[in-house]
Amino acid sequence: MDITMYHYLFIGLVLFLMGIIGTMLVKSVVKVLILIEIMLLGVNINFVTFSTFCDGIKFDGYILSLFYIAIGAVELAVALYIFYLMYKKKQSDNIEKYNEL
Amino acid sequence: MINNPIIFYIASFLIIMSTFGVLFSKNVIYSLLSAIVVFFTGAIFFYILGSEYNAIIQAAVYGLAVPIIIGVSIMFTSLKKDTYQEKMIHYILIIASGIFILAFVYLLMMSMAMNPNTFNIREITQVNFFDVMSAFAKGIFINYVWAFELISLLLTIVIVGITVIKRRGV
Repeated sequence: MDITMYHYLFIGLVLFLMGIIGTMLVKSVVKVLILIEIMLLGVNINFVTFSTFCDGIKFDGYILSLFYIAIGAVELAVALYIFYLMYKKKQSDNIEKYNEL
Repeated sequence: MINNPIIFYIASFLIIMSTFGVLFSKNVIYSLLSAIVVFFTGAIFFYILGSEYNAIIQAAVYGLAVPIIIGVSIMFTSLKKDTYQEKMIHYILIIASGIFILAFVYLLMMSMAMNPNTFNIREITQVNFFDVMSAFAKGIFINYVWAFELISLLLTIVIVGITVIKRRGV
């Protein structure tokens, strides 16, 4: 049985949904940040899948995926620094205590 | 791209189980280790989809650099001061062993890339590597040059901003 485009899209969808559901359920700030990165990975898999199966000339999806990886890494670094600064005041990683900047 | 159902289903099982591991682990360190597996498996997906360059960037940035940043932030935030030294060695050992194992998987993946017939992989030559690299060069430096420059500017702003915040001593 050949693997079609929909198999890869399904994996991207599962990762994205698990990221969203986990972000709503989990209490730890670090886990929330990891799950946001997993959502970005699902989006990237969709980009690369569409680029491979539907665009065999320009490969725009590959390039957008690269941009997303760069932006995701920057966003994570900034979010972790903000978390570190707020942790010094709150002394907890429970996300319910982080309701103000 | 590589159209092999065995690799696809093994990678799919691994990535979904590891995502469950991220969700349901009580210890944040175990979540981080599961996340490393998820990111490396994402690189495997990129590779079997025919985008080797994306796979290498994914493995380097998300497989190695990002977990180190998250691990350091966990060390700085989740530990009490009295047992800091003792627990820090424990955490460093766990992270180092996880990175070592996954680097081994990465090397295995690269060896498969060098010799695709090793595991009797049926390869479909839909995507030519040189066409992909040519498309990358055209995309980054011609079609999306403004987006590329904006991301460079964003990185510079982040570095300068963190330096300014650090100097102000917030």
